[in-house]
Amino acid sequence: MSTCKLELVSLAKEYADGNVIAVDGINLQVEAGETIALLGSSGCGKSTTLNMIVGLETPSSGDILVDGTSIVGLPAGKRDVGLVFQDYAVFTSMSVRKNLAFGLEVRGKGRAEVDRAVAEVAELLGMSDRLDARAKDLGGSELQRVAIGRTLVTKPSILLLDEPLSNLETAARMAMRNELRRLQSEIGLTIIYVTHDQVEAFSLADRIAVMDAGKILHVEKSAVICDKPSHTFVAGFLGFPPMNLLRGRFEGAGNAAGFNNGAFTLPVPETPALPKGICTMGIRPQALHLAPEGGAAMTGTVVLLEPRGPESVLTVNIGPTKLKALVPSDVRLSEGQKVGLNLDYETVLFFDSEKNRSMDFQLNAGRCA
Amino acid sequence: MRIVRPGGLSNAAIARLFTLPGQVVSLLVLVMPLLVALYMSFTDWSPTHGSLFDASFVSFENYSELLVWDTRFTYAVVRTLLISIVCLCLEFTFGLGLAVLFLRKFRGKSLLFSAFLTPMMILPVVVGYIFWMLFQSNGPINQILEFLFGPQAALEWFRSAPTAIFAVILTEVWHWTPLFFLILLSGLNSIPENPIRAAIILGASPRQVFWRVVMPMLKPVITVAFVIRAMEIIKLFDEVFMLTRGGPGSSTETISLYIYKLAFNDFQLAYGAAAAFLVLLGSLMLVHLLLAPVRDQLLEGNR
Repeated sequence: MSTCKLELVSLAKEYADGNVIAVDGINLQVEAGETIALLGSSGCGKSTTLNMIVGLETPSSGDILVDGTSIVGLPAGKRDVGLVFQDYAVFTSMSVRKNLAFGLEVRGKGRAEVDRAVAEVAELLGMSDRLDARAKDLGGSELQRVAIGRTLVTKPSILLLDEPLSNLETAARMAMRNELRRLQSEIGLTIIYVTHDQVEAFSLADRIAVMDAGKILHVEKSAVICDKPSHTFVAGFLGFPPMNLLRGRFEGAGNAAGFNNGAFTLPVPETPALPKGICTMGIRPQALHLAPEGGAAMTGTVVLLEPRGPESVLTVNIGPTKLKALVPSDVRLSEGQKVGLNLDYETVLFFDSEKNRSMDFQLNAGRCA
Repeated sequence: MRIVRPGGLSNAAIARLFTLPGQVVSLLVLVMPLLVALYMSFTDWSPTHGSLFDASFVSFENYSELLVWDTRFTYAVVRTLLISIVCLCLEFTFGLGLAVLFLRKFRGKSLLFSAFLTPMMILPVVVGYIFWMLFQSNGPINQILEFLFGPQAALEWFRSAPTAIFAVILTEVWHWTPLFFLILLSGLNSIPENPIRAAIILGASPRQVFWRVVMPMLKPVITVAFVIRAMEIIKLFDEVFMLTRGGPGSSTETISLYIYKLAFNDFQLAYGAAAAFLVLLGSLMLVHLLLAPVRDQLLEGNR
């Protein structure tokens, strides 16, 4: 692709002579003006990836291309890439103005130019009246803005954000999220966003790259990734609550076909060419519905009912298997009660058992008794 | 909650009772002698003239004598301050340089670390004696000078004022640079990493990172190091006593040395006490001034 702003080519980072692999050959293409979220639990290598892009760490192998040219040999600070730290790392000994001006002053820019750029950025961030405050007197969201502004002043072509909202309280977090979205549309920055928080990723990013154990498992538009995860990890990670994953195999055929996961057999509608061997079935909590105990596809006992605004999350035990379902909040169920569950078969996903990748197979819609 | 014991004493009262021995001891060994010395400084008492209470009260005569007429005292004060400033600047520069070097990894670092800290642990009297030996007219330093620059390069170190002062400063710097090194190294190590990384990413050169980001964060530590050392060096005595005894003439005489001579050579204890109180006042003011710029920062703590 020639329109790529940033491209990571089998980028890898090893520590301790290859004994610890932090980043394991990731490939990623980011287009200009795009916001992409690197989503993963802590220790999955996302921060290491950021550090390599910005130049604080040298990759063990692989390449980083910006606008088609490699930047691996360039020192940090000459890469035209900005990074905002999780703890903001604002220079507390300086005023807000000095913080914002820092990037230009160390480059030896003229006084007038620095003043103009600082005023511009302060305006953009709504901090024009706070320029002479001492940085150590600022609150969380103001520090955040200074950290972002300090980076924006140098006009980087790519902005990297390392969990920038995780240190903020909820209200400030919402406001900052809107602010970031506004900034992005106003300046048209390419933003790479590292987070472990799905809500943040979904609300800010155009695309989401899910990382686990140093690998990018799935890169997809944020609107799609939740419904069509391509890997069991992604399926079990994304969503509120995430997908139910059942390991088992199809048995029988035609009308009598069923999915046996060891504990119970789920009857399935008549579908040709059922996959052979062990596979993993992914059922969205939204696809499970309460049904009368008699004619339901599955029956189980209620373990927990967690109200969550307009909906409740229902946990049901079917033998040793736990299933989570989304039910309307007016449903009243008590612990230990028997319930039946039906599901929308056509939305069920399947993953192969070896690579945990999604399979090109779908069940027919229908009901079976 | 206030718990009242059967004896009628509250917890706080018992706690206060337990501090009593400590208060008595500090009253006896700290406050009393200080007050006695303060009274003494207003008399013309000398140990050869009977009891302190028989001595006549001369009010501020000792003080006015010191401040107005005693040029030897004034010179000693100025000399001590000048030596202090030079020594502190040199110690700071070397200490900071070493500390920055020690931020890197190199072979034998832990061995060198111990070696660099050793001078600080030697008794000042011993350091003075070692350097007195080194600076002898046929001592190692002169031997090296003769070897390098010929026989006329040897100096009579303690016979002229400039070389004697140089010897004092060198001894002091050698002795106390390690303290600066230790304090500054721990200060450098406690500086958070991310502001430095942020500065690097923003395009700052290592020099700019050091002066613009690291040094401001190090300021409180630097000040504390200066205060500790300033308080010590104003009392500079042992090394000078061993090296020059204040000579030649009074060209290396520090305040402490002068007060010592007043008290124990001339037995003018009252006069010496007055001088000591002036020095105490002076150093209190000095420390206060030094701490002023970072007082808020130190008291506020890290936020």
